[in-house]
Amino acid sequence: MPEIRVTPLGAAEAGSTSHPPSCSGAGQDVGRSCILVSIGGKNVMLDCGMHMGFSDDRRFPDFSYITRNGRLTDFLDCVIISHFHLDHCGALPYFSEMVGYDGPIYMTQPTQAICPILLEDYRKIAVDKKGEANFFTSQMIKDCMKKVVAVHLHQTVQVDDELEIKAYYAGHVLGAAMFQIKVGSESVVYTGDYNMTPDRHLGAAWIDKCRPNLLITESTYATTIRDSKRCRERDFLKKVHETVERGGKVLIPVFALGRAQELCILLETFWERMDLKAPIYFSTGLTEKANHYYKLFIPWTNQKIRKTFVQRNMFEFKHIKAFDRAFADSPGPMVVFATPGMLHAGQSLQIFRKWAGSERNMVIMPGYCVQGTVGHKILSGQRKLEMEGRQVLEVKMQVEYMSFSAHADAKGIMQLVGQAEPENVLLVHGEAKKMEFLKQKIEQEFRVSCYMPANGETVTLSTSPSIPVGISLGLLKREMAQGLLPDAKKPRLLHGTLIMKDSNFRLVSSEQALKELGLSEHQLRFTCRVHLHDTRKEQETALRVYSHLKSVLKDHCVQHLPDGSVTVESILIQAAAHSEDPSTKVLLVSWTYQDEELGSYLTSLLKKGLPQAS
Amino acid sequence: MDPECSRLLPALCAVLVDPRQPVADDTCLEKLLDWFKTVTEAGPSLLLLQENPCLVELLFRVLKAHDPHPRVLSFSLRLAGLFAAQEDCFQYLQQGELLPMLFGEAGPLGGAAWTAPTVRSGWLQGLRSLAQHPSALLFLADCGAVDTIFSLQGDSSLFVASAAGQLLVHILALAMQSPAEGHPSPQGCDWPACAQKIVCHVEDSLHSTATPQVTQALNVLTTTFGHCHGPWTQGLWVRLSPLVACLLEKDPIPASHSLMDLLLSVARSPVGSSDCGLWETLAQTLSHLSPIQAGPLALGILKLQDCPQALKTQAFGVLLQPLACVLKAAAQSPGPPGFPEGATGDSMTVDTFLSSKSACVGLLCQALAHLELLQLLPQRPSPWPQAPLLRAAVAILRFCNGSAAPTSDVGGHLCAVLAGCVRVQRAALDFLGTLSQGTGPQELVTQVFAVLLEYLTSPDSSPTVQVLKKAFQATLRWLLGSPKAPSCCDLDPHTQLFLRELLPVLRKRLCSPCWEARDSGLEFLTQVTRHWGGQAAFRHALLASEVPELTRQLLRDPESYVRASAVTATGQLSSWGLYTTPTSPEHPEVQQESLFTELLHILSTDSEGFPRRAVMQVFTQWLKDGHADVAEDLEQFVARVLQVASRDLDWEVRAQGLELALVFLEQLLGHPGSRCPYAVALPEAAAPATLAQVLQALCRVQLFEFALRALFDCDRPVAQKSCDLLLFLRAKATPCGGPQEAGASPDVVSVEAALQRWQAGEQGQPLGELEPEAVMAVLRSMDLEGLRGTLAKSSDHIEKSPQSLLQDLLASVGVLGENEADCY
Repeated sequence: MPEIRVTPLGAAEAGSTSHPPSCSGAGQDVGRSCILVSIGGKNVMLDCGMHMGFSDDRRFPDFSYITRNGRLTDFLDCVIISHFHLDHCGALPYFSEMVGYDGPIYMTQPTQAICPILLEDYRKIAVDKKGEANFFTSQMIKDCMKKVVAVHLHQTVQVDDELEIKAYYAGHVLGAAMFQIKVGSESVVYTGDYNMTPDRHLGAAWIDKCRPNLLITESTYATTIRDSKRCRERDFLKKVHETVERGGKVLIPVFALGRAQELCILLETFWERMDLKAPIYFSTGLTEKANHYYKLFIPWTNQKIRKTFVQRNMFEFKHIKAFDRAFADSPGPMVVFATPGMLHAGQSLQIFRKWAGSERNMVIMPGYCVQGTVGHKILSGQRKLEMEGRQVLEVKMQVEYMSFSAHADAKGIMQLVGQAEPENVLLVHGEAKKMEFLKQKIEQEFRVSCYMPANGETVTLSTSPSIPVGISLGLLKREMAQGLLPDAKKPRLLHGTLIMKDSNFRLVSSEQALKELGLSEHQLRFTCRVHLHDTRKEQETALRVYSHLKSVLKDHCVQHLPDGSVTVESILIQAAAHSEDPSTKVLLVSWTYQDEELGSYLTSLLKKGLPQAS
Repeated sequence: MDPECSRLLPALCAVLVDPRQPVADDTCLEKLLDWFKTVTEAGPSLLLLQENPCLVELLFRVLKAHDPHPRVLSFSLRLAGLFAAQEDCFQYLQQGELLPMLFGEAGPLGGAAWTAPTVRSGWLQGLRSLAQHPSALLFLADCGAVDTIFSLQGDSSLFVASAAGQLLVHILALAMQSPAEGHPSPQGCDWPACAQKIVCHVEDSLHSTATPQVTQALNVLTTTFGHCHGPWTQGLWVRLSPLVACLLEKDPIPASHSLMDLLLSVARSPVGSSDCGLWETLAQTLSHLSPIQAGPLALGILKLQDCPQALKTQAFGVLLQPLACVLKAAAQSPGPPGFPEGATGDSMTVDTFLSSKSACVGLLCQALAHLELLQLLPQRPSPWPQAPLLRAAVAILRFCNGSAAPTSDVGGHLCAVLAGCVRVQRAALDFLGTLSQGTGPQELVTQVFAVLLEYLTSPDSSPTVQVLKKAFQATLRWLLGSPKAPSCCDLDPHTQLFLRELLPVLRKRLCSPCWEARDSGLEFLTQVTRHWGGQAAFRHALLASEVPELTRQLLRDPESYVRASAVTATGQLSSWGLYTTPTSPEHPEVQQESLFTELLHILSTDSEGFPRRAVMQVFTQWLKDGHADVAEDLEQFVARVLQVASRDLDWEVRAQGLELALVFLEQLLGHPGSRCPYAVALPEAAAPATLAQVLQALCRVQLFEFALRALFDCDRPVAQKSCDLLLFLRAKATPCGGPQEAGASPDVVSVEAALQRWQAGEQGQPLGELEPEAVMAVLRSMDLEGLRGTLAKSSDHIEKSPQSLLQDLLASVGVLGENEADCY
């Protein structure tokens, strides 16, 4: 039976061969995405993410589990990256340049353009913080990106003769895509991260009614119905405005790309509307490139941005300027976007240290911070931070947390399941308990099976692939000739010969099949012996059989042939003397495969004996 | 344990067992275990438990909890295992019957929590840590753990199943090493009960008709022979090899991959060298398996240090079969001698080729990859059939690009299957590149270059840039490996001819709309120039082409990766005098700006880091090589570069600025030798008079201001480099006394004030003109060694400390859980 197998490989777990195991949420976690799918004999890896919470090898999935046998490049047919976030692509250069995968990698064009920026950003932090030597280099990032094949939305890409993939718009971040993976009639859809409601710069995810065998969906907000993003945006603007009005400085630690651009649009529009004069800076030196990509990939943004693009590009910021390190000491209010986003090194941390002492200032964390970062400390309410040389930094500035992540909530996930109409659903990238709730809801509402494997657990689905078979016109006509017009509501049995030629199946009449295949017909006959107690001669016994059958089988053509044998349709009955017992006659009943039913019936009839002659 | 950590522990333990306060960050418990592992490895665990009774209490309370969180339960199991690794601590925990409650049937094993893979995983890992001493073995036997481990071998989680297998091997090894058992006989009749049990289980599994069970047993044995080398392994193999041999008789062979792994693992172990039957088994296996299955085994055999020649020949034959088939299929007429006997393109390989496209592609790719690996090994077969391999690689590439004209049926089939197949093209180009290490008859080498040129030229190579990139790489390897002309000072005529054909192709690729193609072209140019920049024929051909001019134009490419590669390439061309400054066509008398100015412009204005970093690398190389543009006015060169680099937002550019400054210093003061300024005496220190001049020069190029500012850079590597540089300078200057002490001159005061401002994170005004004396005085007064020590630590070492971890765990209870998803 053909099957589809799915194994989330996210977190490193027990038994890991290359590094100490982890006890993290076993598959149902939001750490990193990496899923292996086997479909129709093809092996595909979906995403290749890293975990920001670890700074050793545990940050990467343990690729030794992909296959014990042979090279990765031979085993995997392709790798697909859904979007540029590091928990989906962060391990890619490691996988392709250090582990040694040398096959094709697919992603959308914006993802291909933006991925290296984030990877570079993270590489620099890793090297900056710890001087990590065993980390991928810039050259490796470039070499990895050169292996990427960019795909367009809704374009069917043929990976090889059998495997094809197709990307659908996923919202979430610029360039994010859902992917349909198809081999023959079997298909899987992988959503990556997606958002079913449009936001300030991106549209909502959409997929057609592709009815895949399996839909693998993220379930980050499996139980949440999120409030309107507008409220959060209002709140954010209010806080920034209040701080700037009272002469304070606002620090917003961000990663180079993604949320930063969304917040930039938000502030830019607000500054314009309110005619504010306080400067806004972006500290990384990457703004230009980031904004360049947002401009370049305008078709990937939402309708509003696309519409207004002609008059004004939303990513041409008037109020947002490049930051110089000297500006941090300037008096007066200002807003600064600085990297990295978790206050764990570099410029954002330096500015934070400068500004933390004043209660007039504010730091807004627009995303979660992993443990082991200053961001994590202040978000958990710690206000006295130990610094270098036993110094203590007292955090007097206001600390705010505002979530701007763009994942589908429970409603959105249900909506997508409804759109795609899958046969099965598999939940990943969420927390076990919440996923359990959503699983039940999906099973109830859509009457489909829903799975939520832990990392390292394999879900196997049996599929019944539909194989198209063509029917020859001759066969259909013959069937029609027997009366009865075809009726969609009444299925009918049709006999024919199935032939496979040039990878196509066709049902034809047996004569046509023989002709096409150049074969001659052989007849297979079944013969059964029936013993009758009859002292008369063989010819008389045969005649008695004839008379008996003639009287019983009124609808059949029963004949007595000159050679003494009796036929009923294709069935032949001959009487012979018993070699040892002259009072017994042996009836040889033989029939073809087509008349199997009648042959069996006659045999049983004759076994009961002949009626006594009157 | 740190007293502060000890103080925080009770509160943390209380939090961990409190179901109302879920631990937010899933990495925290993992880090906590890392820390406990360090602590238990550093000292007696018993003392740790006695001083921190909350830890044992935590374990008890987790056990008693109604519905403990799987993560916490798993954590507790692993923690208990860490403690019980030391025998006295194990006894201590046993007194309280804690271990049976955790690991025995009464524990999580029978509960609902067992359904969570993380708990099963924790249970296995706990036992793995615990199983370190004879008492542990008894405990495992008493609590029936081994049976549970057997069943976990077939767990639904790959991670759990794999851990179970590894734990069995660990227990087996522990049982066999146990001093209480003396030296067990190889026959196994007096083996410890625990070991007997495991071996019997393996035997049963090998008898099984279910392939997963056979696989599990084979994997356990593979790990055993891979990791354990005691004399008992010999006995184990004697006992089990007949069962393994039985598997080979089945059709199809069950778990063939695992079986191969086992045989190779045994062959690599001491057991292998003493068992002649093993070679026979390997030979038998090789002939039983299908071509695609046999490939990895053949490679494994060829990698073995000592194995019979006949087996090696057989294995090599297996690897060569697919290529032999290709050669046969491509042959127009009976050609030159092919592969060694035994590799003639057997019918099984031909059948695989014909069976399906994926089988054909898979087999070819595998064979090419294996032969590529083999070629690089010292123990590769000798004689190495270089010529037929070259012919085969060329034939495959020709099948792929449709330029082959096959006459046989198999050839026609290969043509159809391989046409445009990127996977095979990549593998064949890699292989062809590796073959450049050997030589071949000229006629063949000409064919190699011809096919490479076809690939470099073909428009089909563009959409699949990987093919083009690999074609460039293979070409480079062949070019650099090609022989010199007899006069030995120039390229041989064939290479010269090839170059003339290649450069127009390169030119075309540099104009490709695809950035990956332009980049690969530039990388190729850089490499060739690096090696052949001095070869007259190359110089002549290159200068006659438009390639240098195009490279210059690519300095303004829209793609930053390409700009960076163009910078490196022009830098390299310029180093060899191959980069002539063009004159303006309208005004030939007006020279356009020099390359130095142009690169400096890129360094000042390029919006992205890659090109700027590439410029810094070129400048540093120029300085090392004494490039003409640099030598013209060395000080001005350094001053201008440092001025721009110091303002750069990219810390890697600033760090490279310091690298350049160090090269400059070395040239002025002599090489730092070990780079450790205070490692040895410094007899070569410059004489005072010279030193004063050097310091003056350093002041003039404003190297001091650059380095001192960098000392307090927010990016640690920059500060670290600066610290090293200043230490080097101070060490060089100090032994000879250097310039007179400047005391607390106004200059010194102003430098120190500036340093304080910079340290506080303020940028402030530039220092302006500096007196060397003042700088040296400041340097002497600074605790550079202390700073170096601080910088050697990770910038987040405080946040990563155990104390910080405990504080974070306590502080984040109930605060962060909901936000975790917003990480990205």
